[in-house]
Amino acid sequence: MNRERWQKINEIFHTALEHDTTTREAYLEKATAGDPDLRRHVHELLTQKVPAFLEKPAWAAAPDLAMGDSGSLVGKKIGDYRVLKEIGRGGMGVVYAAEDTQLRVIRALKALPPEFTKDPKRRQRLIREARIAAALSHPAIAAVFNLVEVGDDLCIISELVEGRTLREELRGGPIAPTHLLSTLISIAEALAAAHAHGIVHRDLKPENIIRRDDGQIKVLDFGLARPTDPSQLSLLTEGLGIEGTPAYMAPEQYTPGADIDARADIFAFGVMAWELATGEHPLGTDPASILVKMNEMIGGKTPGISLALPLPGLDRIVRRCMRGKPVERYPSAKELLDDLRALDLPGPHSLPARHDSFWWWQGHQIIVSTLNASAPACVWAVRHWVGRPYGSRLFLVSLTLATISVALRLNLFFASRVHQETLIEHRARLFPAIAVLDTLLATSLLVAAAIIADDHDGIAAIFVAIAAVMLALLSLIEPATTAAAGLNRPAKTRTVLTEKSGGASR
Amino acid sequence: MTDDRQSVDSLLPVVYQELRRLAANYLRHERPGQTLQPTALVHEAYMRLLKDKPGRWQNRAHFCAIAAHSMRQILIERARARHAQKRGGARQRVTLDERLMPGGEQSIDLLALDEALGRLAELDPDQARLVELRFFGGLTVEETAEAMNISPATVKRHWTVASAWLARELEGNSQA
Repeated sequence: MNRERWQKINEIFHTALEHDTTTREAYLEKATAGDPDLRRHVHELLTQKVPAFLEKPAWAAAPDLAMGDSGSLVGKKIGDYRVLKEIGRGGMGVVYAAEDTQLRVIRALKALPPEFTKDPKRRQRLIREARIAAALSHPAIAAVFNLVEVGDDLCIISELVEGRTLREELRGGPIAPTHLLSTLISIAEALAAAHAHGIVHRDLKPENIIRRDDGQIKVLDFGLARPTDPSQLSLLTEGLGIEGTPAYMAPEQYTPGADIDARADIFAFGVMAWELATGEHPLGTDPASILVKMNEMIGGKTPGISLALPLPGLDRIVRRCMRGKPVERYPSAKELLDDLRALDLPGPHSLPARHDSFWWWQGHQIIVSTLNASAPACVWAVRHWVGRPYGSRLFLVSLTLATISVALRLNLFFASRVHQETLIEHRARLFPAIAVLDTLLATSLLVAAAIIADDHDGIAAIFVAIAAVMLALLSLIEPATTAAAGLNRPAKTRTVLTEKSGGASR
Repeated sequence: MTDDRQSVDSLLPVVYQELRRLAANYLRHERPGQTLQPTALVHEAYMRLLKDKPGRWQNRAHFCAIAAHSMRQILIERARARHAQKRGGARQRVTLDERLMPGGEQSIDLLALDEALGRLAELDPDQARLVELRFFGGLTVEETAEAMNISPATVKRHWTVASAWLARELEGNSQA
C-alpha cells in the first residue's frame, strides 16, 4: 500500500461512515467499482472492532509495564538479610522490609530497580547515598547501618521507619496547629544537622518525611543529597542533570549544572511548611498556575501568595524560605531553626498585643493624614499675604508634600488591614520618607508663618502651633503608637499583631 | 513539519529522562491498578524543562509532541527489556487491566503496536503523530487538536480510521 491508496481508503471510509447502514453497501459498491481489493480494505476497517485499550492512554493500558514490577527480590537472601516484602518503589530504588538473620531485627533494604542493577552510574549513586546518610547521625534522620554487595545485588540497609508519611497525614487536611510547629522544628533540626555536615538533601517533600507512631519525625531518602564540598562532586553530578521534585524544587534547581546549596532545602522546607499548615500547595493546585509562578521564580521574582498562614510569625519565616533569590532566604537550616524556636518560646513577646493599641496606631495614621491634608489649605488661605510669586509657590510645595505623605500613610493604613504579615517590613521601608515629608511640610507652614508674622501675628501663631503639633506627633507620638502596636520590634520576636491572629499563638 | 520532527528528535533524550523519572515517582505513590495521569506527567516535565535551553519549550504543543514520543520510547524500551529477559522465549504480551477485557483473555503486544505505528507513519505521518499524542501521550481529543493545530472533528476522523487500521494490524490479518 502507498500513500495515495491510503488517502483513497480514508476518503471512502469517511464517506461510508456518513451513510447509514442501509445505503452504505450501495455506496461502497459504487465507490470501489472495479477494485475488489480496495473494497475489502475499506470494509475491513469499517467492521473492525477497536479494542478498548486503544481508547486509554498507554500508561493506563499497560500498567504492569509502566510499573516495571519484574525482578522483585522478595524471598531472596542477600548476605545476612532475608527480603520479606516490598514497601516502596521509586525511580531511585526499591525499598523492602528485610530480616537481619544474625541480629533477628527487621530493617529497610533499598536496592536498585531491576532494570538498573548493572548500571555502574546507578550503583555509584546508591553507594554515595549510603555513605552520605551513614555520615549523619541524628534522631530525626533515618539511620543507615550497612551497605551490602553480593554479586549483582547492591543494597543499603537502614532503619525501618514505620509510621505515616506527612503526605499521608496531609490527605486528612492540614497538620493540627498543636503539632505544626514541633513538626517543623524537628524537620529543621534534621536539616540543620545535615547542613552542618555540608550535606544538602535536595529532595525534601512530605513523601520523604515519616512521623513514627511514637511521634518521632524521620527524614528519609537522602538519595539526592550530595556533599556541598565541590571536590567531591565530579563523580556525582556527571550526566545526572537536574534532580528533585518539581513542586518543591527551588528555582535554581531548574538550571542544569547550577550550584545547589543548603538554600534549596530551605526553599523546599518553606513550600512544605506552607502545605502542612494550610493543606494546600502555596503555588496552587492547578499545574498551569504552578507553571506560571515557577517561571516567575526562575526569573528571580517571588510570586505573590495571597493567603496568609494562621501564625503571622510563621508566615513571615515561611515567606522568607520561599524567596525566589537564594540570597534572600535563610543561609542554612541553622538560622531557620533559630527563628522557629523563637516562635515556639512562650514569652512576653508572644503574648497577644492588645487589640486597642493596634487601633491607636491606625487611628494615628488617619489623624496625621487629616492634619497633613489641612496644611496646604492653610497656606492657600494666606497666599495673598505672602505675596507674589512666593505665596503660590509655597502652596504648591506644601500641596505636593502633603499629597505624597498622605498617600504613603493611607497606604500603610490599608496594608495594616489586608497585609499584616508584611506590615513591619513595609512600614520600616516607608517611614523614613514619611518622616522627611512631614518635617518639610511643617517647615513650609513655619516659612509661611515667618513671612506673614509682621502683619498677621495671630494667624502666624496658629500656623506655628499646627507645625509644632505635626512635629510632636511625628517625633513623640508616632514612636509610641508604633511601639504599642508592636511594629517597631525586630520581626523575629513579634509574633502576634491583632485579635485575629492572637488565638493561634503558642 | 520535517524541521519540527528533527528538533523533536534532538530534544527527545532530555524529555525522555525527565518523564521516566517522573513516571517512576508517580508510581511510587500510587497503588497498583490506579491510573497514572500522563497529562500531569507532561505538565510536570514541562515545568522542569522550561528553563533548560530557553526558547525551546516556548511552544507547548511542540512539547506535548516530544513528551508523547518520549512516553512511547519509555514503554517500548521496557517492553523490549522484558522481552530480552525472557531470552529465547516467545515475545511477552502485556496483560491488560481486566476491566478493559470483555470476553476473556486479551492482551496487547506493545512492540507490535509500535511496529504497526511505524508502518502507519509511512502511509500518513499526521495520523501516526495523532495516535502517538492520543495513545502514548494520553492527550484528550481537544488537547490533541490543539497540539496539531487542527479541529477536534478532524482528530476524531483520523482517530477512527487510524485506530481501526492499527487494530486490524494487531490482529495480524493485514495484507498491506
